[in-house]
Amino acid sequence: MNEQQAISGERAAASREERIEAMLRHYEVERFYYDEAALLDAHRYEEWLGLFADDARYFMPIRRTRTQRELDREFTRPGEMAFFDDTKQLLTGRIIKLRTGRAWAEDPPSRTRHLITNIRVLKDDGRTLEVESNFHVYRTRLNSEETSWIGSRRDVLRRVGGSFQIADRKIFLEQTVLLSRNLSNFF
Amino acid sequence: MALTSSEIDEMVSLERGEVDRRIYSDPEIFELEMERIFARAWLFLCHESQIPEPGDFFQAVMGRDNVLVVRQRDGTVRAMLNTCAHRGNAVCRAEEGNARSFLCTYHGWSYGIDGKLNGVPGFNIFYNGELDKKRRGLPRIAQVASYKGFIFGTHDPTAPPLEEFLGPTGRLGLDLIALRGDMEVVPGIQKFVIECNWKIAVDNLFDWYHPQITHASAFEPDVMPTAGQRRDGGKIDMTGVNMQNGANLELAGGGIIGSKFETVVVLGEYGHAIGGPSTSSSGYFDLVPQWRETSRAKEGLGPVGIKVAGHPNIFPTAWATSGVPQISLRIPRDPGHTEIWWFTLVDRNLPRETRDFTIMMANRIFGPAGLLEQDDGENWAQATAQTRGVASRRVRHLLNMGVGRGRIIKEGGLSRIEGYTNEHAQLWTYHSWAQWMKGLDWNDLKKATTPGDCI
Repeated sequence: MNEQQAISGERAAASREERIEAMLRHYEVERFYYDEAALLDAHRYEEWLGLFADDARYFMPIRRTRTQRELDREFTRPGEMAFFDDTKQLLTGRIIKLRTGRAWAEDPPSRTRHLITNIRVLKDDGRTLEVESNFHVYRTRLNSEETSWIGSRRDVLRRVGGSFQIADRKIFLEQTVLLSRNLSNFF
Repeated sequence: MALTSSEIDEMVSLERGEVDRRIYSDPEIFELEMERIFARAWLFLCHESQIPEPGDFFQAVMGRDNVLVVRQRDGTVRAMLNTCAHRGNAVCRAEEGNARSFLCTYHGWSYGIDGKLNGVPGFNIFYNGELDKKRRGLPRIAQVASYKGFIFGTHDPTAPPLEEFLGPTGRLGLDLIALRGDMEVVPGIQKFVIECNWKIAVDNLFDWYHPQITHASAFEPDVMPTAGQRRDGGKIDMTGVNMQNGANLELAGGGIIGSKFETVVVLGEYGHAIGGPSTSSSGYFDLVPQWRETSRAKEGLGPVGIKVAGHPNIFPTAWATSGVPQISLRIPRDPGHTEIWWFTLVDRNLPRETRDFTIMMANRIFGPAGLLEQDDGENWAQATAQTRGVASRRVRHLLNMGVGRGRIIKEGGLSRIEGYTNEHAQLWTYHSWAQWMKGLDWNDLKKATTPGDCI
């Protein structure tokens, strides 16, 4: 039984109270992501960084066009090459870099809009949640440059206080050869 | 197009260190490059470790030809065009993987991993059994050879053997990676597209004048992972000064433009070159430098080669980096688009911790999200864009830093220049580009790209 079936099965069997609980949880996660996206689009990177746990890993594998038979090797894995393989320390470094006034890829800054959709809570053990969401990150830069990145994220969210912390983020892009000159933005 | 030799000579002046900007955007020049450079030179395809098992394949690019590099059952490597002999369809769409055969999805012609045509639907009924299958295999690449695990191919059957083409300079470039150990490519080739001409991306790899400005933001305190992340306790210090102590752009006494930045430039036949610091320089850095102490490295590199810590380029487009061992290809797609491919190599025998550190640094320095490389594309795209305006393109590109002052020392088969930061390696690349573009035969090309006494 895959995760999706498990969740659907759970939903069918759930009582009204359980379903209301699930809705509330979904609402909290959704609000968390919307707030996160707003921080990124407003270039409020330091506050965005604050959403990550100190031991967080931020990983965007390389994707490869492979045959159906070998799709299990479509994405690279931790310990292999990646587009992002960051600790919180490195994310911090990236933000320091952006604030220097000499990070030319982002000065003048690009304009981004993060659209977060299709949120699904895959697991919830009370302390941590595993959540999948889709994104469309739209970027324009200077006068005529336009980039669209569409993909999905799989997060491990920790319940902290009344909200969440991102303990792990994996970003899966719908591109193999990256069709843009850089990845100077966050996902 | 009939570009005469004298017109080509006018585009690149070795004496003045000037380049005509048309070479970065003129579509006819690009077409001629495809014929005279990319259909003749030995081009890097992939590393042996990427295709260890029979049927393993990697899809490479030679000019605009898509090429399948395939491990054979007898352990050899074959490379062939990825185009069906019938009506041209690609017979493989995956970037890499393992195949038992290659099937054309148009009419079903099927080829063995050796490229031989095995199956033709309707062979007896439609072709009356008369199709000569032996002549209709996947077209083989004219020459394929491997140097210490690095597989190259050329479309030119008359090209000199790979080792001769590489010469001492090209071999040194690859030895600087190969002699670190039993090297293998880490899974995952980073590929991305920059809106720039391929030559702008190539000449930048020799350029040790730009890091302090282009990459200024990456050298700020606490940006690059440094202290505590280098297992030998040292700091990653590309600028030659301790940036954590508040260095600024005026690096008077050290760093990349300072007096302590000693470089060694190597110029080679056919346009290969190496540019950047020597190991005696304050700007020198190897992430894991112990390998240079081995007798394997000392004997293999020789007394001159062991000091080379800069960036080699195998003409035209294969950059062998030295900090983290990587090969970066600058693959021309059209005059204004270049694909960058990063292959990262590690010694199979590295301790797990050092291996992980090397891979982590490779992911963080170069590549599209790399702390250094994310700012490069901006410059290259804008520099390319400014070669399109009628007035802007009349301005010549300058590569005249130190021109006429580079005294060439010939020793151990290598032609080297010692001194401070200069643009000799870039200029040599453009000079050699012009010789290739004249369509000289191999002997004349070698003569025209043999360094003299001075640059």
